Amino acid sequence: MKTMQADRPDAAQPILAVRDLRAYFRTDRFGVRRDVRAVDGISFTVRRGEIYGLAGESSSGKTTLLKTIAGAVRPPLEVVGGEVDFAFLPGYGGLHRAPAAEVARIRWRHLSYIMQGSMNALNPVRRLRSAFVDFAYPHIGVSRKQFEREVIVHLARLRLDPSVLAAYPHELSGGMRQRATIALATICRPDVILADEPTTALDVVVQKEVLGMISGIRREIGASVLLVTHDLAVHAHLTDRLGIMYAGRLIEEAATAEIFRNPLHPYTRHLISSLPRIGDDVPREGLAGSPPNLADPPPGCRFHPRCPLAMDVCRREVPAMLEIAPAHRVACFAVNRSAEA
Amino acid sequence: MSGYVAYVVRRLAQFGLVLFIGINLAYVITHATPIDPVEQSISAVTSFGNTAPDAIEQMRISLRELYGLGGSPGAQYLVFWKRILRADFGPSLSAFPTPVATLIGRALPWTAGLLAVSTIVAWCLGSLLGGLAGYHRKSRGLKLMGVIAMGLHPIPYYILALVLLIVFGFLWPVLPITGGSAMNLPQTWTFDFVTSVLQHAILPALSLILIGVGSWFLGMRALVSNVVTEDYVVYAELAGVSPSRVLSHYVMRNALPPQLTGLAISLGGIFNGAVITEKVFGYPGVGSLLVDAVYAGDYGLVLGVTTVSILGVSIGVLVIDLLYPLLDPRVRFS
Amino acid sequence: MAAILRDLLRYHAEFRIGAGLIAVVLLLSVLASFSPYPPQDVYVVPPDVPPSLTYWFGTTSRGQDVFWQLTFALRNTLLFGCTVALISRLLALVVGLLSGYKGGWIDRALMSVNDTFIVIPLLPILVLFYFVMRDRMSWLLLAMIMACLGWAYDARLIRSVAISLKAREFTQSGLFSGMSTREILVQEHLPYVMPIVFSTTMNNMVWSIGLEVTLAVLGFTDINTPTIGGMIYWANQHTAMVAGVWWWIAFPTIAIIMTFVGLFLLAVSMNDYIDPRSRLHDFGGAS
Repeated sequence: MKTMQADRPDAAQPILAVRDLRAYFRTDRFGVRRDVRAVDGISFTVRRGEIYGLAGESSSGKTTLLKTIAGAVRPPLEVVGGEVDFAFLPGYGGLHRAPAAEVARIRWRHLSYIMQGSMNALNPVRRLRSAFVDFAYPHIGVSRKQFEREVIVHLARLRLDPSVLAAYPHELSGGMRQRATIALATICRPDVILADEPTTALDVVVQKEVLGMISGIRREIGASVLLVTHDLAVHAHLTDRLGIMYAGRLIEEAATAEIFRNPLHPYTRHLISSLPRIGDDVPREGLAGSPPNLADPPPGCRFHPRCPLAMDVCRREVPAMLEIAPAHRVACFAVNRSAEA
Repeated sequence: MSGYVAYVVRRLAQFGLVLFIGINLAYVITHATPIDPVEQSISAVTSFGNTAPDAIEQMRISLRELYGLGGSPGAQYLVFWKRILRADFGPSLSAFPTPVATLIGRALPWTAGLLAVSTIVAWCLGSLLGGLAGYHRKSRGLKLMGVIAMGLHPIPYYILALVLLIVFGFLWPVLPITGGSAMNLPQTWTFDFVTSVLQHAILPALSLILIGVGSWFLGMRALVSNVVTEDYVVYAELAGVSPSRVLSHYVMRNALPPQLTGLAISLGGIFNGAVITEKVFGYPGVGSLLVDAVYAGDYGLVLGVTTVSILGVSIGVLVIDLLYPLLDPRVRFS
Repeated sequence: MAAILRDLLRYHAEFRIGAGLIAVVLLLSVLASFSPYPPQDVYVVPPDVPPSLTYWFGTTSRGQDVFWQLTFALRNTLLFGCTVALISRLLALVVGLLSGYKGGWIDRALMSVNDTFIVIPLLPILVLFYFVMRDRMSWLLLAMIMACLGWAYDARLIRSVAISLKAREFTQSGLFSGMSTREILVQEHLPYVMPIVFSTTMNNMVWSIGLEVTLAVLGFTDINTPTIGGMIYWANQHTAMVAGVWWWIAFPTIAIIMTFVGLFLLAVSMNDYIDPRSRLHDFGGAS
């Protein structure tokens, strides 16, 4: 799957470029003022037609990053700096800065979203049909009858019966609900799909089925996908390139196969080595300590308190993302030093 | 659909329980207290004038018969229920020999109309404005409205009614301040009569609505500010659904079921406002009837009004409960 | 607790206003102990004197000083509210914790009764009670009756907290270490429901005082014990408004509105502080 990249047209052209993005939760209650730096200086690009994965443990800022890119920024979340450039929305530096009419133009037509835990992503008091009408009908420009026919055809691609349109969300199983949200997110054939833990709430068998559907339908409509999940198995299965996040920052990025084969950052190495493998009975080492409090992160590299390779410089300075090997970027002083040597 | 049937059966059972416990409370109060309500009534009636001793004795006997205060406790209890079920509270003492049921029947439309209109108006208006305030949290006008609602909501009915009475009765006398309709009009469905009824209802209704709007406003605002953070609202916004549609079909729509439950819960307190308002504005409803019955020592009438109010509130709650599944499809299936 | 109060005072405008109003009301009610006149005595001062330096809030047509009368009335009214709140809190706690913790048929039965008490119209019942008791109706008796009828709504709130506590780890460990239901409820659950008990106390006082004022204005309470509603009742009996003795009604009215708004604001700010959605103190990470 990873080898397909080269045959794609415009493979090198980014459809989405994120530059030094910073988004903080700013709160001021009962005199306690604080910034939770959930996204703190992240840069990466997503190419046309690729599936870009973002991994990291919970509360590493993945979902906040995705929401910020999607323009779902509402207090206490604030975009403090940086830019988000979509190929279809040039010149504004992100949805959060674009005028409302422009945002309305691109939503769902060019950019759609699959939500985490779709249990609650659908309006509980209305039938599924109304979600399709609200979300997609204004973008498709056909008669209501024709629209309904198209929806039914599209549902069939996700092996959903037309009868689900008349159902309320609570009448569907978790897998059906998730497939329905995928149908919602893909029916307008958007250029970019942002997917937040699309399979986490599902059991393993359904998970596999849904993953297959995401990749199948993506190929069919030719969209790029930015996929966020903590589950590395999902990334191995689905993504072309993979970025690893830790405590609000991107710390490593490379082709997915390369990350699994040759992880460089100590944190990535820990993640990869803790994956279960068949026939391997070496005891897994846990990582000492816990992820930092993002309201008061440690200075320098945020991983240094837990890092086996921590040096003096790690406590003082923030390591930059440097290209160590072709298309393999890492933010780590220790790795850089050994690469230079 | 079987879920719906089970739901309806549960609500009906609850309805029965409310009636049962409510009427038993009335029984316990009138029978288990050390005071004999018949002697109470007689002393209240006789304290106003000189009644012949043998007339008093006759009255005492007939009252004992009427209220089933003779016989064993078990027999008393059965007689009590029999009377309640037949809506037979005997003749009124204060308006002898008009039956209590007739008096209540005459007063009930006034109260039912006043309470139904003011409750529905207050609930709709408060929910709408509160919903807007919860969604547009930065709007200055709506913030100001929130402050007004907060100040208005805890004011006792009596005070507000009094203020309205002073303002519109003495300072700026534009509205009729007493009665249910103009005295000189016959109570038939003529245009003049209806206009007069509406005019007379403005102040009583306004005092009920003003306080009601305040509490519904605050309740809905709190509900909506929770609903806006729900995933389905964020998702609809991410999908580019227009803000007005998000507000109406996603936010308000999901805040309405709990707000309706709030309405059902508040019905028990509906008479607190009604009694005071009717008394202050001399409105000819059951609230005024109840107060006058207490002053006149009319036992049958007090018991009758209490029973009817318990029945009225339980019916109101039942109606809301049965409407609830229309707003929330989840109860139809669970 | 002291730290919470300090935080609320410093940063929560609503709490500040509420606490200020209640402080004034409390101060007035404490002054009752220094009154030069016994509360029940009439014609101790010249009647119908408008507010002046000698009689700050004027005097009534019954020859009572409105200011000192008001201090007694506020004290009695607040005591009444506290008594009802205290007793009904106990009932609500027992029913709420038991129902939430035990679940099953106990929960269903208790909640059916509970929901019944929520919707039964109390005012007619209380009027009926007064009708039967008449002159034997005392302040304390009314408080007891209202407490017995006014616990239901808060029991539901406490139950919902108790249900969420039941699943928590300490309940399970308490269970395995052989604690009885009573021990688990009192030692483990009670501390967690206390905040909600405090905030419902304010709301319950607003409710009970409001109902007492309603009954008193109609004359359906012990009208010889001065309360705010009782003062307004006597003013009405002497047609104070028509006679131009406005101060007889105005000052009790202002006092009761201050009490209500104060209690209400305290309840609102307490809820605000308790509500995990708005309280971001423990907002550690973000995902």
